[in-house]
Amino acid sequence: MTTDLNQFPQLDKTKFEQRGIQLEIGVPVTCAVSIGNYIAAGFGDGTIRIFSSGEKHKTLKAHKGVILCMAKDGDNILTGGDDGYFLKISLNGEINEVTNFGSRWVDHVAAHNGNLVCSSGKVVYYWDKNKKEPKSLNHDSTIGGLAFDAKGRRLAVSRYGGVTVWKKDYSNKWKSTKLNWKGSHNKVSFSPDGKYLVTSMQENVLRCWRLKDKLDFAMSGYGSKVKSFAFIDDTSYLATSGAIDAICWPFDGEGPMGREPICLPYIGNKQVTFIEPFPDEKAIFAGLSDGSVFLSQIENENNTIIIRSFTGSEVSAIAMTDDKSSIFIGDMSGNTLWTSIWDQ
Amino acid sequence: MENKHQVPVTVLTGFLGAGKTTLLNRILTEQHGQKYAVIVNEFGEQGIDNDLVVDADEEVFEMNNGCICCTVRGDLIRILSGLMKRADKLDAIIVETTGLADPAPVAQTFFVDQDVANKTKLDAIVTVADAVHLSSQIEDHHEAEEQIAFGDVILLNKIDLVKDENIDVVTKRIRKINPFAKIIKTTKCGAPLKEILNLDAFSLKRILEVEPDFLESDHDHEHDDDVTSLSFVSDKPLDMEKFQNWFGKLLQTKGQDIMRTKGILDFKGENDRYVFQGVHMLMDASPMGKWPDDKERSSRLVFIGRNLETMNLKEGFEACKSE
Repeated sequence: MTTDLNQFPQLDKTKFEQRGIQLEIGVPVTCAVSIGNYIAAGFGDGTIRIFSSGEKHKTLKAHKGVILCMAKDGDNILTGGDDGYFLKISLNGEINEVTNFGSRWVDHVAAHNGNLVCSSGKVVYYWDKNKKEPKSLNHDSTIGGLAFDAKGRRLAVSRYGGVTVWKKDYSNKWKSTKLNWKGSHNKVSFSPDGKYLVTSMQENVLRCWRLKDKLDFAMSGYGSKVKSFAFIDDTSYLATSGAIDAICWPFDGEGPMGREPICLPYIGNKQVTFIEPFPDEKAIFAGLSDGSVFLSQIENENNTIIIRSFTGSEVSAIAMTDDKSSIFIGDMSGNTLWTSIWDQ
Repeated sequence: MENKHQVPVTVLTGFLGAGKTTLLNRILTEQHGQKYAVIVNEFGEQGIDNDLVVDADEEVFEMNNGCICCTVRGDLIRILSGLMKRADKLDAIIVETTGLADPAPVAQTFFVDQDVANKTKLDAIVTVADAVHLSSQIEDHHEAEEQIAFGDVILLNKIDLVKDENIDVVTKRIRKINPFAKIIKTTKCGAPLKEILNLDAFSLKRILEVEPDFLESDHDHEHDDDVTSLSFVSDKPLDMEKFQNWFGKLLQTKGQDIMRTKGILDFKGENDRYVFQGVHMLMDASPMGKWPDDKERSSRLVFIGRNLETMNLKEGFEACKSE
């Protein structure tokens, strides 16, 4: 007996998939950032693809191996790879080497106002925009994440045992303060209002410090590791992955202590793996372990729309252009969607 | 659906100078056509001939899961997750530990980290032992003993430099510590690679196939902190609830001293065989189908660890037998 595949109903494509551009690159999408109305996406084979509306995307061969991390520096893209290179790449495809650590991976990159920073192993390297040689900031264990605060005055470095917060004093010397909590800390972020510092840990939990008095607390209850989180609408909410709902902790007023998070459910009971804010709105894009992506309003769970349907592969990158017109989605199998958000 | 292909990870351990790098280079040169990633310590021996060598700092992290002996290799979590993002698919990953490393955190990483466990699997711990020096290394360094205790395969290397009777002494010493490892006697690590790679030694199915090899132990020259093994057999079915209570409590309180456990259990009223294996407090257990018709039902339990004789294991196990 033969089966006529056409007899089976085709899975409905969302309107975003119908009008957007879908690619099957076949290589994991590892990261994506918005630069103006462009999106740069990094891949597991060292390539970068730059998307913009009305043009065909541009492909650049940047690294020899996996692009592990990406950040924006003005109009440039910063990338770190498992080939040991830290690169600065312009939107028209000019690639400049910032440095190269040989066989050591560049695990994290960040930038603020032209000052560049990357980590490799236990060391953070900081390039002042006016200087050629970097300043090394040493730590006792491998660095799990890097983040500047909104003003670029403080640099948080997460590691085993807590977070080191670096700050330049009046004589331009680096001073560090330690926020300690036992365990391994990965991604780190300041709240946009600068009042809180949050890390995701190796355990299924987030750690948060209120910086004015160093009061620390946990946000827990997750079924898996929290790999992605983001502050929403300035510091209104912290939206997080790691559960079958998108968990959104209230950070307004006196903060999340003693308050319940809002849990946004999605069809299919799949783990949320990626969170991206919708800029200036109390809304998020949530990417799931089956490849689907939803846009939800945090305070109205009925207001959820599906952006991308199931692909079978974990969502690993979502980025929206600065003008909020278009969105890029990528997953661990290299399925990408580049689409406009608004109906014409 | 999600692709559940798991890349096998072989852990190469062994005391300084035993021949780990010799074995590693043999694997890499003889298995051509295969794509390997090799994770080495930056202070390790040099001269590894592979295009994908990753330097690691052996960073042992404690997990905050209420279990004091639950340590993992933080660097391994980071590196394995990075390797899984590569465009080219790896056939296998080999982790070479330093000579003084305790293999437990490496093994525990595969139990504890969900992403690691989804995408990779621990294939086997291969311990390279120096036939000339092993006995004295075991006396002087607890790490050498732990490496033997954790080995699924033990390459007793440099046997060309040792008299036959001394090989027997060393083999006995290894057996006393670890009754279920496969011992392969080699010179220059010349063992067939099919006995080292793709063993699936941590799968519960494999436990059914390996019969532990117990030697009558002579109790002379035993130190209090020596690693030893004990095994128990019962033809009488066990009471599941009693066993779970006893065994759970045992691992909770003595998990630091109990390094490895394996067992096949016959529970009263259950048709299936229950199989488990553990590293310190972490366990993997599952029913593994019906008892074969040609095999008598019985329960077997093996412990490897320190101070086992203080844990009243025999009495505890006896008390689990069903009324």
